[in-house]
Order: sequence, then structure tokens, then C-alpha cells
Amino acid sequence: MLSALSSLQPRQLAAQVLNFALVLSTAFMLWKGLSVVTDSPSPIVVVLSGSMEPAFQRGDLLFLWNRGLDTQIGEIVVYNVRGKDIPIVHRVVRRFGGGDTQLRLLTKGDNNAADDTELYARGQSYLNRSKDVIGSVVGYIPFVGYVTILLSEYPWLKTVMLGLMGLTVVLQRE
Amino acid sequence: MLGRRHCQLFSVNTFDNNIIAPLGVSWSLDPVSELEQRRAVMTSSPKVAVYSLSDLKNTTDDALPNYLTSLKVAQNHNHTDVRLLLGYLAVVVSGVTFYFDYTLGFDKTKYWTAWAVAAYFVLNGLFTWWIWRVEKGIVFQGSVKGQKLLLYSRTEKHIPIYHLTARYTSPSAPSLWQEVQLQAPFTRWFTADGFFVAKPFQQWLASEIPPIGQADPGNVVEEIGRGDGSARAMNVQPGRVEEVLDALKDASGRMAGSQGARSRRKA
Repeated sequence: MLSALSSLQPRQLAAQVLNFALVLSTAFMLWKGLSVVTDSPSPIVVVLSGSMEPAFQRGDLLFLWNRGLDTQIGEIVVYNVRGKDIPIVHRVVRRFGGGDTQLRLLTKGDNNAADDTELYARGQSYLNRSKDVIGSVVGYIPFVGYVTILLSEYPWLKTVMLGLMGLTVVLQRE
Repeated sequence: MLGRRHCQLFSVNTFDNNIIAPLGVSWSLDPVSELEQRRAVMTSSPKVAVYSLSDLKNTTDDALPNYLTSLKVAQNHNHTDVRLLLGYLAVVVSGVTFYFDYTLGFDKTKYWTAWAVAAYFVLNGLFTWWIWRVEKGIVFQGSVKGQKLLLYSRTEKHIPIYHLTARYTSPSAPSLWQEVQLQAPFTRWFTADGFFVAKPFQQWLASEIPPIGQADPGNVVEEIGRGDGSARAMNVQPGRVEEVLDALKDASGRMAGSQGARSRRKA
């Protein structure tokens, strides 16, 4: 296999590498395009914990929309805790402000006993809709996100998958 | 005399059983030198999976510019260069977007990311259009002795026939394009084992495409028997079929005779 690769001339080798680069960059650009359309930095997230059962199970894939800025009580939002990079999926239980003043939200997981005040950063009692929330859930697919959970728990899987994909694309000439 | 008969029988028999006939048999009438030639072929080129159409086509497509550049035909890489340029430009756009998004975060780069995504898909569209409409299967572009030459190849799904379209100009009329459409089964230059044999391929190209024939007159072969005479066409000659059929008739006649004697004895 590799001997077939070494017998290629420079232009042909460049063309094969280009195929792989285009696969990666198209995937990335599609993701960024979706990001821009939904106005959310991460338009598709995976549920990592069981705090929203029975509505969402661990491993569900959620689709977010961030252009509905007047979030109502009962909507499910995804937010980042200030200072940490972990997105949390919970339901809005209280809202303050809105209209001319900043909209602030209090959230609580369906399967949790207490609201999220403990989870927020020190000194933070409410979420700021425009700064902390990255979107509200508009749809979901169950189970599909388990692959992402596996990839984050075993990070070497990512390298292996990427390596295999790269090898097959560069070496085949279908 | 016996060796000659043996060669011809072998070639017709396997032609019946299999689409792919061993090419080495019809090369020469002398069985010894035939073995030497086959040994030479096997060491020179890598083995190809004979039932994989894409392998056959890719090997042939790779051999074509090699042969032409060995004839000192100047190769023009324009089409490949444009394709690589469009493709890598798109990749660079996506790379830059990734870098800025990673370092500055989504909110700050939102506006520029939107434009980058649009630019990327426009470039990707141009790239796809270039491959699909303009390149259209081009495998070689160049010029020889003032004649421009373009070669396009294609195959149809699951049919092992190589279609080659050649467009060329003559030095006296540089803006007049002539077109020749050729097809040949891959069996013409691949052995049953999957080895690529350069000679029949080169002869086919030189005989059918005039500018190549002019650059390589030694390989021009005509089926009728006229022409250079120094090289022989490398495939089964239809003219020798009669002798082979006679030989088969004799052999089966002998067999039928002995069976008839046996049955008479039984009765």
C-alpha cells in the first residue's frame, strides 16, 4: 500500500493529501456554518449526566437555537458555568427582567432535588441570558451522542479514528 | 511445428473460458523466448487486482503520461494546477477560520466566520465544477512537435473497457481541433495475472493517435500487415482461427471414432 503511495509523483501526492484535507475542512466549515446560523458557539451538544431524566438520558444528542432571546419558564436551556467549560442542560424555573432590563434566569434539573444555585460560580445567583446561555433545546436524537461520550472518556480513540480515516482517504483512489 | 500448434490451441481455449486471456501466449511462436519475455514483464511492473475496474483504470492512467513523457512530449499541468489551487485555497480559508475561532472564541469572530463559511463553499463549488465539467477525465495535456494533444479517459461501471478521447491539432492548422474516440478492453495490455504490459499499450496509442504515432513511429502497427513491419501487433490474430478449428476437428474426430468402436462392441 505504502509503496503505491511512494510511486506517485508530487502533484498526485498533493492531490491525495488535498482529498483528506477537504474532508476535514468541509466537516469543520459545516459545523461553523451551523454555528453561525443558530448563533450558538456549540449548536449540537451531548447530554452527559442524568439530571434531566426522564426527559433526556445520558448520550442523547441535543440541537440548540440561540436566536430566541425571550426565554420562557419551562424552556430547556444549555449554559456554561462562568469560569468552567462544562455545558449544563437544565430547565428554566424562574425569570427576572426582560424587555428593557437584562433577562436573568434560574434553572433546575428535572431529576435534581434543588435548583442550580449551588452549581453557579461563587457569588453568582442567576444566569445572564445573553452571556451565559448558549442556546435553548429545539430537538433531540436519543443515543447517538454516546460516541462522543466514549471519545471524551478515552481520548486516544480520537487519534485512532482520525488516523484511520486519514489513511483510508489518502491511500484510496476510487 | 508442434510448438506452434500448442501455442495457438492454448490461446483459443482460454479465450472461451474466461474474458481475460493470457497475453503472453501470442507474443512469439517460439515457446522458449516467450517464457523469457513473461519473466521480464513480471519483474518490471506491480501486480494489479484484475477484477477491480478502478485499479485497472488508475494503472493505465498512470502509465499514459509516463509513456508520453518518455517520448519527450512536453506535458502541460494547467488543469491539475488549477484544481490544486482551488482546493488548497479552500483548505487555507478553513484553516485560518479554525485558528482565529480557537484563539479568540466564537463571539468575537462570529461576523468574519460567517463570511469565511460563505467563501469556503463558493470555493468548494468552483473546485467541484472544475473537476466535473472542465477536467472531465483528462489524463494528459501537452504538445509534441507543435501539435497540441489532450487525452481524456473514462470507464463505464463494471465494464472493463477503456475509453480514450484524444483531441489534437496539426502544426499546419493550430486552431483546428480533431477528435478521435477509442476504446479497447483492458485485456489488451493486462495479463490474466494482473501485470501491466507496456508494449501493447504503447502500440495501441501510437497506432490510433496520429501525433503519438509521429513521435514514436516504431510502435505504429497496422492490423492488415502493412506499415513498419518491425513490430508485431500484440493480440490474438483473427486470421489464424481456421487452422486452429481444423486442429480441433481432427482431435474430436479421433475421439468420436474410438467411442463409436466401443459402442459397436457392446451392441
